[in-house]
Formats: sequence, structure tokens, C-alpha cells
Amino acid sequence: MTQRKSYAVGTGLFIVLGFAALAYLATQTTSVANVSQGPSYDVTTQFANVGQLKERAPVKVAGVRVGQVESISLEPGKEVADVTLSIDRKYGQIPVDSVATIYTSGLLGDQYVGLQYGTAKQYVKDGSRLALSKSTEPLEAMLGKFFGAGAAADDLGGTYAVKARFTNVGALSPGAPVKMAGVAIGSVKSVQADPVKLDALVTLSIDKKYDQIPDDSSAAVFTSGLIGSQYVAIQPGGSPDMLKDGDEMILTQSAMQLEDLIGKFLVNGSPGDKSGGKSSDAK
Amino acid sequence: MAREARFGYLVLLSSRPFPMTDPLRPTTDAEPLVSVRGLTTVLSGKTIFDALDMDIPRGRITAIMGPSGTGKTTLLKHITGQMAGDAGQVLVDGQDVGELSRSQLFKLREQIGYLFQNSALLTDFDVFENVAFPLRQHTDLSEELIRNVVLLKLQAVGLRGAAALMPSELSGGMARRVALARAIVFDPMLILYDEPFVGLDPIALNQVLKLIRTLNDTLGITSVLVAHELDAIKQVADHVYLIANGKVVAQGDPKTIADDGSPWTRQFFGGEADGPVPFQYPAGDYAQSLGFPRSQA
Amino acid sequence: MSAQTQRNMVTEALAQIGQCGLFLLTILKAVPGSFRYVRETVRQLWFVGAMSLTIIMTCGLFVGMVLGLQLYYVLSIFGGTAASGTVVAIAIYRELGPVVTALLFAGRAGTSITAEIGLMRATDQIAAMEMMAVDPIAYVVAPRFLAGLIAMPLLCSVFCALGIFGGHLVGVTWLGIDNGTFWSNMTANVDVWKDVVNGIVYKSVAFGAVVSLIAVFQGYTTPPTSEGVAYATTRTVVASSIAILALDFVLTAFLM
Repeated sequence: MTQRKSYAVGTGLFIVLGFAALAYLATQTTSVANVSQGPSYDVTTQFANVGQLKERAPVKVAGVRVGQVESISLEPGKEVADVTLSIDRKYGQIPVDSVATIYTSGLLGDQYVGLQYGTAKQYVKDGSRLALSKSTEPLEAMLGKFFGAGAAADDLGGTYAVKARFTNVGALSPGAPVKMAGVAIGSVKSVQADPVKLDALVTLSIDKKYDQIPDDSSAAVFTSGLIGSQYVAIQPGGSPDMLKDGDEMILTQSAMQLEDLIGKFLVNGSPGDKSGGKSSDAK
Repeated sequence: MAREARFGYLVLLSSRPFPMTDPLRPTTDAEPLVSVRGLTTVLSGKTIFDALDMDIPRGRITAIMGPSGTGKTTLLKHITGQMAGDAGQVLVDGQDVGELSRSQLFKLREQIGYLFQNSALLTDFDVFENVAFPLRQHTDLSEELIRNVVLLKLQAVGLRGAAALMPSELSGGMARRVALARAIVFDPMLILYDEPFVGLDPIALNQVLKLIRTLNDTLGITSVLVAHELDAIKQVADHVYLIANGKVVAQGDPKTIADDGSPWTRQFFGGEADGPVPFQYPAGDYAQSLGFPRSQA
Repeated sequence: MSAQTQRNMVTEALAQIGQCGLFLLTILKAVPGSFRYVRETVRQLWFVGAMSLTIIMTCGLFVGMVLGLQLYYVLSIFGGTAASGTVVAIAIYRELGPVVTALLFAGRAGTSITAEIGLMRATDQIAAMEMMAVDPIAYVVAPRFLAGLIAMPLLCSVFCALGIFGGHLVGVTWLGIDNGTFWSNMTANVDVWKDVVNGIVYKSVAFGAVVSLIAVFQGYTTPPTSEGVAYATTRTVVASSIAILALDFVLTAFLM
């Protein structure tokens, strides 16, 4: 009988140890550890380009986590991304003129939203909007075209086709995403060589939701990440007329060779707006 | 019957149904406990039993003998329902073993003790727990009562002092005696001994012989022995069956069966190499299989 | 001739799988009956689970350490050593934890289950239980099967915890990755459902069931000779390893 008891005690210890390990792993090494304990409130802001920012990415003030990104969506008809931030109630004293910026933690790290406090005496409340935002830091402005891959937009609402000509499409292939302000709005339908004009004719299939794209917008072939796949980025123009099915985009920027870019980066030392990419745009 | 009186206290203390023959079922000592009728068994193309008939009387020690490979152990498996025959029936205490469901079969087996050739003690448990095993599985007797019953049975086989040993620490004769204690822990109505004398030295052999005789005499247990040793069987058995070629070829009193004059008994008990059981396993023509042309003769 | 042999081998393998499946049904039928033998299940849990802890913990630690070391060198090429916590955790939760634990479990516990049941059959202990009106499936097989099923996720949890610890030891303590970065990167990217529950719970329970089933099946159906037991033990390891890796692919495809 004593023999049996020792089995039972040992087995009990084993079971407790196993469950303790599971509980520890599940709560301390996963995103569960980041779930805010207290109640939170929502604040919206807009970015011209969210890059690689994902839902549930942290929101930080002075490097300290105060909340997380609740949702990211592209407002139809506008070239800006709506971002909802869920901030812990205990951090209730954020000035209304604070600036929200998207930062990247390290070259390969994930992006997060940093808040820099303003000087206003009024604090943001649930549902209010942070008017000031910065899309990315200058480094990302240039390297940003190398980052920002995301899932292709679903085409549940139907699509319309737009053509664009490039002198060099690099490794662009059908199915690659089409993005505006970093958010996927469609996909590349076909890539063909034009036998007469001797350039590449790319047909873009864009979600009908986004039918407010000015017809003088430009299309560029970008690469997501250092070794990532290529995609087409659309930068909206200012024309009052919108792109329609079958239109051709006039302004295009071909795929940049990695060698060119690195050369540029090294020559410039500190990258600025020379790359032609979008930099900070405060609203 | 004496059984209820003997086990009455266990019955009263156990809330679970206690394995026991139905006291209301009329039985007479004349009715055989096990009767085999027309049993036919074919194993992988070989006929083991060919319409075998056999009766095992109550309260007696019956020995089953026969050349190796005649299916003596198979017959025990038929009696316990571990194996089903292809035709015929085996009646144990009036129940057709082949017709029983698994749970009815288990009920029946609780009243049958089986002594395996290699004792088959559970190696995980010590001697005490091995003997206690059937009690723990089929009753919810108190620990104290189990202890008393187990020590009683171990005392009967003379191994009460070995209760704490593990099976690996026992000699072959001791292991067989422990297995015997385990087989009789429920005071079964029938004990089947599968080759109980194999590999025992003369002392252990006589101890086992004495136990078989004593158990039979004092408890009135019906015993079936499968064995080769005629000397041992002469000392203990009341009746002998000699099986060969799937049939009973001779039966009778062990002291006189060798003299009944049939060629089977003469070969078996006389230990002759050739006879009804041929020395040569059936084979084709010898000369031909050596490659000599036949026409030379 | 060789085509004939091949066909025989395929038929043989299919027959084994079919018998194994039928045996699973037999076990499941006997499981309610085996609840009477809870003590036996606890005892098996001790042998199968608690006694495997040493090997599981040692191997978990080294797997985590080697992963931390390799990742440090690869990620430092990209300047991304901060991500090593994430990669260690995800690699261990999703694949290495369940798969390596199951392989070790097959080698440590599966073989001993097969050999034990095989020897019990060879020494007539199974037949003796039948004769004592004890169902050997309920008393011998089902408790071992259940013990394997319960022990695997627990062992896998311990393996993963030691693996993370090993990765932390090498990455943070020895190679100097910032402690906060290591953990915050991990907590930011590891999902409790997609990574921890899918890996440690679903995968390891499935692996535990497969390894235990193969072990008890090989043991119970082995020819009762010493050669048969030896062969069955080998077969347990081979069949378990193949089954684990094949099932891992199927489960990954479904759970992703």
C-alpha cells in the first residue's frame, strides 16, 4: 500500500508540474501577457501610410506600453488609413495635441505607434481623434518602399481594371498586391511585354470600393522587405477626375534596382526626401 | 453443499455478488462437471480433435495424457472458453461454454482455477498481491479480510513466509505453489492443471502432488491434470484419459491402464519410439526426395 | 517477383493499420470498464510520464540552447537578434516541442509499454488475467493508453518551458541579447491559441494517442516469443516515428 501511495504522490506532482508549465507558457510568453488588465478607451487617428503596422501592435509613450492598435482600415475615397488605438484607462491624461507616429523597432522588428505629448491642457477622451500624426520616420520614408507587404485585398465587392506601363517591372508577377497608403486595395492581374512600345504593360485589378483614385495618380513597383516580393504602390494625385475601368495611368515609376538604392543610401548618408517617397506629413 | 458454509462469511461481507455456484440448481454427484460432446477442432488445417467425447466426474482427479501435440492444452482452453471448437459442445456445470457471452464466461471463470505451465504470476506484484489479485478485482472485501484469506491460502501451500517476495525471487516450484494459491483463492469448483510437474525437482514435485491431493480431498474440488509423468499420475489421479489422433484411445484407472493391451497404451506407457504414433513425420518417398531415379529397382 | 513482394508489403502495412484502428475501437470500448482500475492508470502515468521527465527536461533544455545559438548567428546577419525570443518560442511551440517530445516519448515510454505487454503475453500473464475473469484490455491496455494520452501534453509543456529557458540562457545570459527585448518580442508575437494551444495541446494529445496506440497494439499482438517481443519493440519506434511526422504535417496543414 505504501508503494501505491508513493506512485500517487509522484504522479500528482508530475501532473501539477505539467499544468504549471503549460499555464506559465500560455500566460507569460504569449500575447496574453500584453492584454491590458484594466478597462480602456478608444482614440482614432489617421496615417498617410501605415507601413507594416498590424492590429494589436503596441501603443507606447516614452517607450512604455499604454495600449494597442485596435483596428486599421482604409477609408473608401480617401488616401489615408484610419487607425483606432485602444489605450488603458489609467493613462487618461494624454493631451489632445499629442502626435502619433509609427515607429519600427529595429530593422526587422515590428512597427508600433508612439505618442509624443503636446502641451494642451485638454486630454483625449473615448472616441476623440488625434489630429496630428506622422506616418514614419525619415529612414522609413526611404526604406519604406522595401517594407510594407501585406495580404492582397479581397475583391468581394468586385474590381475594375487599370493599366500602367513600366520600363522595368523587376520581379513583379501576377497576383502581387496593389497598395495605396500601405493598405492593399487590389492585385496585379497580368504583366505583359508590349511588342511595339517595348515596355511592360501591367493590368491592375482594383477593388470597386476604392473608386475615388485621381487619374493623375502615379504607380510604382516597390519591394517589400530586403528579400520580399514586389508590389505596385499607388500614390494619389490631385486631379478632380477619378480613374475608371480600362483607364491607363500615365505616371509610373519602374522597379528600383536594389543596387541603385543602396548606392543612394550610402551616398546620401542621411536619407531625405530626394528618394521621391512620401515623408512626414502632418495633418 | 459445504461451499456456502465455508464461504458464508465472505458472502456476507461483500456487497458485490460473490462468485458461487447456484445452490438452488439441483446437482448430483453422478452428473459430470465437465462433459465434452463431439468436439471437433481444426487448427491451421490440422485436425486436433475429431468428435471427442469425454466426461470429467465431480470431486475427482482426472488426468489427461497423450503424446505431445495432441492438443491437451487446447482441450483446457476449450473448457475455459478461451478457444471455440469448430463443432460439438463443451458443458461445464451444465452450461455450454461456446454459447456463453463474455460476461457470463467471466462469471464461469471466477469458479475455475487455472494453473499455467509457467505459473504466469504478475511480475509487477509481490506474492501477496498476486494471490490477492482476484479478490481485489472481484470483491470489495476489507483490507484485513483480504489479508486473512490470502495468508490462509499461502499457508495452505506452505509459503506464508514468502508473502513479501517478488515473483522473480521465487524458484520454479515455489512460483507454481504461489500460482496454486492464487488459483484456489476463491475456492473454485474446478481446477485445471496445465503440466504441473514439468521442470520440478523430486522434492517440489512431491510437494505439488501432495497439494493437489489435499486440495481435492479437503475442499472437494474437481481437478483436471494435463501431464506426461505416469508415476506422478499413478499417485494422484483417480481416472486417466489417453488422447491420440483427436480421440480418446484409452481410459481407466491409472494403475491398470498401461496393461489394457491396446497398441496406443503399449507405445505410450512403454515409451516405444515407433508404433501407432509413427517415428517418421509424414513425408514423401525417401529415395525420391534424395534424388535417386525410381526405375533402378 | 519483387513487385509481388512489394505488393505483399503494402497489403501487410494496410492490414496493420486496419488492425490498429480496430484495436483502438476495442480499447475505447474497454475504457469505461477501466475506470475501475484508476490506480493502475495512475501507476502507469508514473512510469510513462513522471519517469520520462528527466530525458524530456534534458532534451528540452538542449534543444532550446542550440536553437538560441543558431538563431543568434543567423539573425545577427540581419541585425535582428532581438527577434530570437520570438523565433525560439514559435519554433518550440509549433513544431519542436510536440514532435521531439513525441519522438522521445516513443523511444522512452512506447518501447517499454510494448516490451512489457509483449512479455506479459509471452509469460501467459495476459491469459492468466483472462482466466481470472479480468479483461486484459481494460486492466492492462487501456490504463497504458490513457496514461500516454494524459502524459504527452504534460511532458510537452515541460519540454517547451525548458526549451524557452535554454534559449533565454544562451541568448540573454551568454550572448547578451537584452532581456526585456527578448521577452517583449516574444510576448508581442506569440499567440496563445495559434501557437501554444495548437502545438502543446492539440498536437501533443494527438501524438500521445498515436504513440500509445501503436505501443499497446504492437505489444498486445506480438508473437509470444523473445524474438517477437524484440521485433515488436523495434516496430513501435519505427511506426511511431513515421506516424508522428506524417501526422504532424497533416495537423499543421489543418491547424495553421
